[in-house]
Amino acid sequence: MAEQKMNFFDKMQALDRRYIYLVVALAIILPLVIPFNSRTYVTEPSENIYKKIDSFTGRKDRAVLMCFSHDASTMAELFPMEVAILRHCFQRNIQVFTICFIPAAKPLMDYALQTAKEDYTVQSGVDYVNFGYKPWGIFLPIVLGMGDDVAKAVETDDEGRIVSNLEIMKEIKNYNEMNLVIDFAASAAVYIWIEYARARFGANVAAGVTAVMAADNFPYLQTGQLIGMLAGLKGAAEYEKLVDVFATHKEMVNGVETVVPREFSKEVIKDSWIKLSDIKNPVYKTARIGMNAQTVAHIMIIVFIAVGNIGYFVNRKKNKN
Amino acid sequence: MKRQIPLLIVIILGFIFAIHTFVPHKASADFYDWYQTWIKALSPFMVLLGIMSLFMVNTAKIQRKIPGWQYSVITLLSLIVTGAVGFIWGTQEGTPFMWLFKNVQMPMGATMFSLLAFYIASAAYKAFRARSIEATVLLVAAIIVMLGQVPIGMAISKWIPETSSWILNVPNLAAKRGIGLGVGLGMTATSLKILLGIERTYLGGGD
Repeated sequence: MAEQKMNFFDKMQALDRRYIYLVVALAIILPLVIPFNSRTYVTEPSENIYKKIDSFTGRKDRAVLMCFSHDASTMAELFPMEVAILRHCFQRNIQVFTICFIPAAKPLMDYALQTAKEDYTVQSGVDYVNFGYKPWGIFLPIVLGMGDDVAKAVETDDEGRIVSNLEIMKEIKNYNEMNLVIDFAASAAVYIWIEYARARFGANVAAGVTAVMAADNFPYLQTGQLIGMLAGLKGAAEYEKLVDVFATHKEMVNGVETVVPREFSKEVIKDSWIKLSDIKNPVYKTARIGMNAQTVAHIMIIVFIAVGNIGYFVNRKKNKN
Repeated sequence: MKRQIPLLIVIILGFIFAIHTFVPHKASADFYDWYQTWIKALSPFMVLLGIMSLFMVNTAKIQRKIPGWQYSVITLLSLIVTGAVGFIWGTQEGTPFMWLFKNVQMPMGATMFSLLAFYIASAAYKAFRARSIEATVLLVAAIIVMLGQVPIGMAISKWIPETSSWILNVPNLAAKRGIGLGVGLGMTATSLKILLGIERTYLGGGD
């Protein structure tokens, strides 16, 4: 049987996967290597987390608990949001606790704290406490125990100190004071906080999740069981922008550029655009640079879908004829 | 006895914890405090059990030289080396443990997750076809959500992120809530069956 000659669309349909992989690699690598200025639009779930954390500014009877429930594989999406929230807390003198229940999250938690505190003079035990790694088996007892007494539930911090003796704990008793829990996860770990800390003790719970997990959390967002959500790299980019526009807002004071934090305003965030090239520290714009790569990757996938479908319909018409 | 004792422990403790949730009596609170102390004391042994299990499974694979036994060697070596450097030099910034984390685990983890992008792109090109009305709806929704998630969506038109948000907040939410309710009812039914001793498959043995 004579071999039928392949037309352009046939060739496109039978395209080797390796070419697709090559295009994907280039679409992601190039925007990361050559960053361009793109605009970040902030959504309400991200704004809500920012506003809640910011309302704790300077208060010794309020604290944020950050629970790291992921490993290095999802770091690209979750690490920038963790650093951005820690920066927000350190900048605005907000007390923050960190904890993790999976061993792989422990180095990430240390790394996030280390990265965020580089530009701040914060002290462990006074401005923040790292509760460290606690085995998964006692996740639930700790979540429930914190409803009565945080210090009693975790007992010791990462440095082996008795938590109840730390200065930061003076006015912190339970979820009434540690009023916001943010779980960073690529899994359903946040539901434990919703089901126990929220339902039983009324704690405010927020989530920082990977983009693929975000869709699962919308029911909780709508009911208010989650006060806010940072969804994937987009959520991280939004929070980075919120921190830049409000918490670390800079003004010229006596000819010197000085950080003058300002209150959240919808009008301000709507109109503000910070050029990536104006941000000196690359750590502070990681998510926004990543969003450039994500933009190109999304467009490329849409083009792939379009080309694939055009080829499919042309071939189908040809076969019918 | 081998089956009756675990069954009794589950039933008795299950009912006690269910009662504890609804009865705020001092005896109930004291029991819970006692339980918390015990579970904390037991937790290090859970980690130990996990390590022992990992060693036993992988050692058996190496001894029997079953296909892929080399990976078991790497697993055990990684566990020993990482554990040793952590115990000797600590796990803080600047230690060999942190170096291993940043230069081995981080890139490897990121690589595994990054593969998803390649598979999605390839699948989108090869398999995502508007073959039926349902597939076309899915395809259009996917394109709108993908555009709505990146800044260019807003730059093209305001309605792209708005429609994307509607898709996530209405049809997606309805489906997720339906699944959630189904799962919740299923969990309640299964929990009741376990508490009443009807469901015993967790004991093993298949009955």
